[in-house]
Amino acid sequence: MASDPRVQEIHDRALADIAGARSTSDLEQIRVRVLGRSGELTALLRALGTLPAAERPKVGQQANEVKGALEAALAARVDTLRVEERRRAREAERVDLTLPGRYTPPGATHPLTLVLREIIDIFAGLGFSVAEGPEAETDFFNFSALNFPDDHPARDMQDTLHLAGGALLRTHTSPVQIRTMLGRKPPVRTISPGKVYRRDLTDATHSPMFHQVEGLAVDRHITMADLKATLELFAKQMFGARSRLRFRPSFFPFTEPSAEADVLCFKCGGDGCRFCKQGGWLEILGSGMVHPNVLRNVGYDPEDVTGWAFGMGVERIAILKYEVDDIRLFFENDLRFLGQFAPSLSSAKA
Amino acid sequence: MKISYRWLREYVDTDLPPAELADRLTNAGIPVEGITPLVEGLGGVVVGEIEAIERELEESRPGHVNRLCRVALPDRKLSVICGAPNVAPGLRTALAPPGATLPGGRAISIATIRGTRSEGMLCSEKELGIGDDSAGILALPADAPLGTDLVTYLGLDDTIFEIEITPNRPDALSIVGVAREVAAVTGAPFRFPQVSAKEADPEAAALAGVEIADGELCPRYAARLITGLTVKASPPWLAQRLRAVGLRPINNVVDVTNYVMWELGQPLHAFDHATLREGRIVVRRAQPGERITTLDARDRALSPDMLAICDAERPVAIAGVMGGAETEVRAGTTTVLLESACFNGGSVRRTSRALGLSTDAAYRFERGSDIEGVIPAINRAALLLADLGGGTVARGVIDAYPAPRPHTRIALRMERVERVIGAAPPRAEVVRILQALGFAVDDSGAALQVVVPSFRRDIVQEDDLVEEIVRIWGYDKIPLVLAPAGETTSVTRPADQMLADRVGGALAAAGLSECITYSFLDPARLKAMGWDDPARLVALLNPLSAERSIMRPSLVPGLLEVLATNVHRQRPDVRVFETGVTFAPHRETDGDRPAHEELWLAVALTGQRAGRAWHAARERVDVYDAKGMAELALTVAGAPGVTTQPWPAGDEPGYLEPGRAARLLLDGQEVARFGEVAHRVREVFDLAAPAFVAEVCLSTLVARTAAVPRYAALPRFPAVQRDLALLVGAEVTVAQVEAAIRGMAVPWLVEVALFDVYSGSQVGAGKRSLAWSLTYQAPDRTLTDAEVNEAHARVVDELARRFGAEVRGA
Repeated sequence: MASDPRVQEIHDRALADIAGARSTSDLEQIRVRVLGRSGELTALLRALGTLPAAERPKVGQQANEVKGALEAALAARVDTLRVEERRRAREAERVDLTLPGRYTPPGATHPLTLVLREIIDIFAGLGFSVAEGPEAETDFFNFSALNFPDDHPARDMQDTLHLAGGALLRTHTSPVQIRTMLGRKPPVRTISPGKVYRRDLTDATHSPMFHQVEGLAVDRHITMADLKATLELFAKQMFGARSRLRFRPSFFPFTEPSAEADVLCFKCGGDGCRFCKQGGWLEILGSGMVHPNVLRNVGYDPEDVTGWAFGMGVERIAILKYEVDDIRLFFENDLRFLGQFAPSLSSAKA
Repeated sequence: MKISYRWLREYVDTDLPPAELADRLTNAGIPVEGITPLVEGLGGVVVGEIEAIERELEESRPGHVNRLCRVALPDRKLSVICGAPNVAPGLRTALAPPGATLPGGRAISIATIRGTRSEGMLCSEKELGIGDDSAGILALPADAPLGTDLVTYLGLDDTIFEIEITPNRPDALSIVGVAREVAAVTGAPFRFPQVSAKEADPEAAALAGVEIADGELCPRYAARLITGLTVKASPPWLAQRLRAVGLRPINNVVDVTNYVMWELGQPLHAFDHATLREGRIVVRRAQPGERITTLDARDRALSPDMLAICDAERPVAIAGVMGGAETEVRAGTTTVLLESACFNGGSVRRTSRALGLSTDAAYRFERGSDIEGVIPAINRAALLLADLGGGTVARGVIDAYPAPRPHTRIALRMERVERVIGAAPPRAEVVRILQALGFAVDDSGAALQVVVPSFRRDIVQEDDLVEEIVRIWGYDKIPLVLAPAGETTSVTRPADQMLADRVGGALAAAGLSECITYSFLDPARLKAMGWDDPARLVALLNPLSAERSIMRPSLVPGLLEVLATNVHRQRPDVRVFETGVTFAPHRETDGDRPAHEELWLAVALTGQRAGRAWHAARERVDVYDAKGMAELALTVAGAPGVTTQPWPAGDEPGYLEPGRAARLLLDGQEVARFGEVAHRVREVFDLAAPAFVAEVCLSTLVARTAAVPRYAALPRFPAVQRDLALLVGAEVTVAQVEAAIRGMAVPWLVEVALFDVYSGSQVGAGKRSLAWSLTYQAPDRTLTDAEVNEAHARVVDELARRFGAEVRGA
């Protein structure tokens, strides 16, 4: 390549050394020896002035060419050796990538909370706010204002736990309807989740404490058609797009007309199975048009506005959704039960 | 309530298969909960007569004698072995000849018992599946036609509907009431029973008198007299019909009153006229101290808020609830005074509850009975009694009805129907439905003018009629149409719920599991935890049990139970939390809320901090874990910084270990507390390992947080970090040292962090080494080493001076 023998010699020896280098530190020594501040080629270039003027450009050009070639060779060799060195380092320090990673395993969110959040999210998407009220209530909010007559068997539908001074534990979330409507003018679109209490002995399907979600819509154009449509939208989101609802007449003092709603069994699609006790339908909520007496009790004019309300049991929905067979499990808080509702890698089904 | 399909079809013409009829009724608001054949598997059993007892067989067991009976059928005679005590020559009974089948799949064949051949079996009610009596074989009347199939003879080819009637529909608590509903849903014609009784002298009014002293509690009282009666067993068809709907036949008089109650819904009562002093009925409130022995043979004290049926001297029945034993109809009674009345529902309910006495009559009266149904019912019963008891109906009904009740009239606008249900049923269909249900309808004007029948006291306004129409027309005919959105409103959630959700999410991410525990607690456990003042607790008046009688003043007791539950089930490492409401007596600030409720978070920890893992040491949770969870919650809530304040020794809440518990204050107000669970409380919950709890009052916190972060410019010049270690007496707290450092106003000091705490042999007893990292930074330039050294030296010197401590600065 170079015609100048000094240049050529530096070039040839350096290339051979680069090829023979065993490590990146060897290469660094070669670089310093040849291309460093006092390196062979650097020295040669510095000494150009001592050469005859006619040779200077040629030797200078050759030396610069060789410098470029050696830098390229060094760079290429460094890459090769680095790959090799990393490979050796990895071999020297093995990692077992099948070991579990390091993180704090999350705890469980209670299944009733999961269901409640889902219900709230669905209704928030439909334009419903959340309203709340106390768990200890007065007879007025829990019964009278909701059109339960005094000394009437309608009150037996909800066996009540009483507190001193005529107070009671609310038997349903419906008193929140009254508190909400007394506090504002229509339109109203709210849902009210919360604990409710009944004087029921505990067994696999009964608990003296459980959770309900109350829904309430009052406006100028609210009809039963709207109630049916809204609840069907809810059912499709909660239980799947193929869900359907069926409405049956019923009786609640605070709605007129009143309806129980059943959802088409989402296990068997209505054919009848163990889950729906062969009926094809699962009872999920009570509902109806807000009774005109209730609207009057909160100062609304039933000729001006109409409304609907519904109440559903959260445990009931959780039982259906998660196939839980005993309501007591929700309140026992056995970690082996709760853990089934925690995000977990190891419980992922194979 | 049980409804017999055969009985029902006497009053409405329908041939619908039972299952379909049940569906139609359920979809009209008369829920059918069960459909069962009256008897199942009964075949080939016939009426036979025991002609003679051929001989007694040896005792099969002591006192139990089998007899070989010759049983006659029209075409043959059979020899049948029977052990029943009531076998007697001439008795007609149920014979299951070989080839017959009994309920439960039992097939009858010729059998040989101890060498004697038996050609069939004589059957009891129970064996036939038609009643509970198993004491003897079924006794049939002497005129029961021999050889007739028993199913035909007793009308056993029937279906029983179990119907759940809602409390607003007392009118449907009867065969006729349900028949009316069937007529409305099917369009089939409806008939009312035969109610005209044939009367003869004397005049009823000559034998008895009725006086209502309290017209509010008894708006109507009617009486009839039947003379010359013979009290005896009811004929088989009547007895069978009662058994079919779950009533026990007693005698013809009592059975007729029950029969008519079931058929028409009107409770009736029969008095033995001879036992009524002066033959008078006085309806009045009981006087203080009056007592009565009721039909169930119990002596009961009456009070003046109870309505009594009295004769000239004393109470003879508790109005609408139960009759008295002394005036009861019995064998030998010849003249009966029949009562058919209307009582105030609320009064009957209060009386029935006060006496703890629930009866079929009270059940109907408390729901509201039909004031006009009084007369048809008494006539129907009189007719049947005269028929079955061979008596004579005295002339006239004694009818005390001082203030006849007017019928409710309602104008029904078709627009209202559409406005409420969002669909428009045809007007002609609306009229048909209302008429079929017993309403009178004037269809001549724009609005329908509707007259409500006396038996529908639940119908008082227009929307009540809307429900009647739509439940018969069909809920399935209402379309699914969302209402127009109307005025825009924003979707909001209560701040405390959102906070509880955020905090709960953070704690779950930190590895704690969420619990939901019962809101009612055991007073004994609460007392052991320091809640010993009943005035500060909210108690249930009618708890299910003593263990669940106090509303929780804290979430901690519930969570300690969760720890115990899990520890006792081989889960020693438990880290849990709950968010929920606590209860305290009403305070002035609670307004119309009867109790003081606050939303709290509680955390409970025991056992190891984390599960066993290859990368982590196993360490037991301690009080700093509890504090840390409180701090995490406060951080998530955005609390702007809290101070830790232990209680003065001995002032800790009863459930926390003295010296191992403290409060967290925000601007001087307690927002959280944490600590180790007291040893004696652990004993109460049977927790062997140490346990720790933290509580955060979310209600208090929510009002004080949620400040919007404000951006501060990022530092442009490098920070310098210097460490220092301070060797101090164990009594010096970290908070004291930190306050001292921060209080020095050292220039450029921007961050103070404790990074190590050491106590042990290397520092000597009673001493601690606290290692701190201090960060210095100027906003406008790079600090020089000299500047930082000087500032840091000031801190080191000051700490040495303040705490008399050895300080090593670096």
